[in-house]
Amino acid sequence: MNKDLSLVGTSQPIYDAYNKVTGKACYTGDMRLPHMLYGKLVLSTEAHAKVLSIDTTEAMKVPGVKAIATPFNTPNKKYNSALRFIDHDIPRTESVFSETVRFVGDRVCAVAAIDRKTAEKAALLIKVEYEPLPSLLTIEDALTDGAVQLHEEVANRLNSIKNEVGDVEEGFAKADQIFEDEYQTSIVSPMALENHVSIADYDDQGRLTVYSSTQNAFSVRNILSDVFEMPQSKVRVVKPTLGGAFGSKIPAVLEGPAAALSMMTHRPVRIDLTRKENLIASRTRHGSIVRLKTGVMNDGRIVAQTYDVLTNTGAYVGSAYNVVGAMSHKVFKTYNIPNMRYVGTPVLTNLPIAGAQRGYGSPQAIFAQQRQLHQIAKRLNIDIVELQKKNLVRPEDVDIQQVGNPRPYDCMVRGMTLFDWEKKLLWKKNQKNKNDGDLKKEQTESNRTKRRGIGFAIGCHGNGVFGAHRDFIALRLKMNDDGTFVLESGTHDMGNSLITSQMMLVAEVLKTDLDDIHVVEADTDHTPWNLGDYSSRGVFVTGGGCLKVAGKMKEQILDLAAEMMQASRSDLMLAPGKNVVDKNGRIVSFQDILIYSHSVHQRDILAQTTYASQAGRTSFGAHFAQVEVDITTGEVDILDYAAVHDVGQVINLLSLEGQLEGGIQMGLGYGLSEEMTFDEKGSLINNNLKKYKMFKASQMPEIKIDFIEEGESPGPYGGKSIGECATVPVAPAIINAVADALDYDFHAIPVKPECIKKIND
Amino acid sequence: MKTSNFTPIGSLRPFGGVIPNERIIMETVSLNINGEQHAVLVEKNYTLLYVLREMLNITGPKEGCSTGDCGTCKVLIDGQAKNACTTLAIRCEDKEIVTIEGIAINGDLHPLQTSFVKKGAVQCGFCTPGMIISAKALLDENEKPSREEVRQALDNNLCRCTGYVKIVDAIEDAAAKMRGENHE
Repeated sequence: MNKDLSLVGTSQPIYDAYNKVTGKACYTGDMRLPHMLYGKLVLSTEAHAKVLSIDTTEAMKVPGVKAIATPFNTPNKKYNSALRFIDHDIPRTESVFSETVRFVGDRVCAVAAIDRKTAEKAALLIKVEYEPLPSLLTIEDALTDGAVQLHEEVANRLNSIKNEVGDVEEGFAKADQIFEDEYQTSIVSPMALENHVSIADYDDQGRLTVYSSTQNAFSVRNILSDVFEMPQSKVRVVKPTLGGAFGSKIPAVLEGPAAALSMMTHRPVRIDLTRKENLIASRTRHGSIVRLKTGVMNDGRIVAQTYDVLTNTGAYVGSAYNVVGAMSHKVFKTYNIPNMRYVGTPVLTNLPIAGAQRGYGSPQAIFAQQRQLHQIAKRLNIDIVELQKKNLVRPEDVDIQQVGNPRPYDCMVRGMTLFDWEKKLLWKKNQKNKNDGDLKKEQTESNRTKRRGIGFAIGCHGNGVFGAHRDFIALRLKMNDDGTFVLESGTHDMGNSLITSQMMLVAEVLKTDLDDIHVVEADTDHTPWNLGDYSSRGVFVTGGGCLKVAGKMKEQILDLAAEMMQASRSDLMLAPGKNVVDKNGRIVSFQDILIYSHSVHQRDILAQTTYASQAGRTSFGAHFAQVEVDITTGEVDILDYAAVHDVGQVINLLSLEGQLEGGIQMGLGYGLSEEMTFDEKGSLINNNLKKYKMFKASQMPEIKIDFIEEGESPGPYGGKSIGECATVPVAPAIINAVADALDYDFHAIPVKPECIKKIND
Repeated sequence: MKTSNFTPIGSLRPFGGVIPNERIIMETVSLNINGEQHAVLVEKNYTLLYVLREMLNITGPKEGCSTGDCGTCKVLIDGQAKNACTTLAIRCEDKEIVTIEGIAINGDLHPLQTSFVKKGAVQCGFCTPGMIISAKALLDENEKPSREEVRQALDNNLCRCTGYVKIVDAIEDAAAKMRGENHE
């Protein structure tokens, strides 16, 4: 888009790639502190029960056991693990350990011992006496009249979040046809490869330092200081290298238990979760039931649409309202529908806590939206592309100040070309037109049971939380003595190149090399305040902040240079190589300027700013899939896949591609194979990675991708997000393709081989 | 509180459960890791991963699942890529074990390592050590694998960040370099 850029738009490896390929990168679980103890959680085996007693006598006898933390000897102040800022008003239903356990996997107590083997031995010797209570394992159970109320503070059916535009009753009255469909999406796991892990270090000064696999250091500090009633000057939270997160590491999970044990022992304590524990004791993606009612004219214009969504939020309130709240905006973004209403209601159940996962409500709602649209096209006998065209929002339809520059249409058109949609569609039409005799002649032994189909979907997601609540970051940029820089940014890079992007943006403004900028990540002692890394705010908000703080630094540099060179400010420019040059070619280096400022003025060169999100903007993506389904085995082979995303301006091309490719892996699993299934006792049946089926390398298709760069102000250089949007269109695209192949209308995901085989039978 | 390892309180069966009052039996095993000998005192059921990470502080291999399904713990044992989490330490005497830390030779990165960096195959990096180990085992066997063969070789390595695309690109790139074909 902007041809004057030297770094922005290029491909850069992630800033710590070398440390990662040599094994040197230090993740939280790799840290070893002096005298560190190992902590092991004891998790509930009951879905809903009172903890009557916890007998730790035998466990305490195991040599090397130092402390056991229980609900009876730790603070029981209630909190909400998804708290975003200190005055965030969301229901508080969680505690460090639970006196009443509400799901299989709830925290009962924890052991700290000299090593892991000892902690594991001791944990097995702890005897917990439960008084079982009735349990509610589905949304329907929880909504039944007379169902046990899971929390004192709130009903099982939490408050609904509503959003409305126009008049839906009027709209439906005008419609030629009305379609009502119900869709279900499963509970899945974010499945970051790094299991949750926290190290708490309570020293003898009474200061608590927590190193944690977190996306949200400042929120964790808020929660810990509140629960343990400590001033924040005594609490420090640090984010080491993070092995993936996808939203699961936004809430405080292990920090409280680790802190409790550290306070009991005055030694650092590391707690991590095994994968089996992590699947249930961290966070899941909300399962959902989406009732979608759409009124259309016969020519395909959508005149009214209502969403009635129930989400399964699990055993504690957590992110319940955040997710349905986010959904309440997203469903309005893609189409010009004049009359719409959204109602989203979270429901508490005795299942693992649902939290944030990439897409945060959009994958659920957009699956329903795009699935139904595909079916409506069939029912009206209109080409799906035409139906999309009739309704997709275009930039000229919206107030650019309010809404920005939405390009889903461009994504669809470009994607159709990349995917060769017309050619594939023609092939399908020709197949349909062939008579049975000809078709039989084409059949071979191998393709007799195969059916081909194509489908696509358009998805969207946001760029931060503008409009929902405060959305800002404070940044500090310091010049080192040699003219290089340190940026203190409070960011939580999780492999998504946040740090690298920040380096690129600052280096772009200051015309330096990437290596001239070092970025310090989230550490509540050393970096200014950041809301947290989620909601895809990294480019749009934090990136915007980087431009602002680099701009301030540039001003200081030029002011000082003008003084040094006795030149007019307007005659000076930054030049590559950390230099300032005047119109006559005289050069001073940043180091010269630093020395001047230190020696003459005894003043350091640093720039500090706070940047608040300036607007709510939407990112879009269109994904296309061609599948071949074996109707006897139910296996889906993905023959071709294309994805085009509206990103405003590419910042780091390599990372953008990588994020999109990763989002596709997650979405394919969401559509075809991933699902957490529970037995009648509320225990997770598929509790390991053999049985929880993520897409492997051999299952992934070759992927064609492209980006639409038409700019999105006020994103940095016009850039906006892809992080979450990457996964939103995938499941509906692939299921639309499978539906096309089988001429069958799917209403639930995942569409596993068993489902497909059943259709055939 | 005493911290002796030999008090007969109980001992853990490999897959859970405690046998009370059974003496804990530990034996010494000598492990050759990245060219260095380590003598370690282990119980029969200690996995190689536990010994590497928790006893020797060799933290390059990661613990993603403990059941041999994710590949983040992969190490080379006599040139074969194996999951350290399902390998018993006592069975590793006399074997040549190479972890990710031993892939670079005298500070020179292996072509796989530079390719992974340059091709964007590294995002969060948690799967990276295991991926490189599996890739090395593949390329040591097959110097010109097809993309399909590369994908198959990664069948026991999960990744949640990259969709595997650039990992396959990187392995192809490294293979070409190792064949002398890429001059960058």
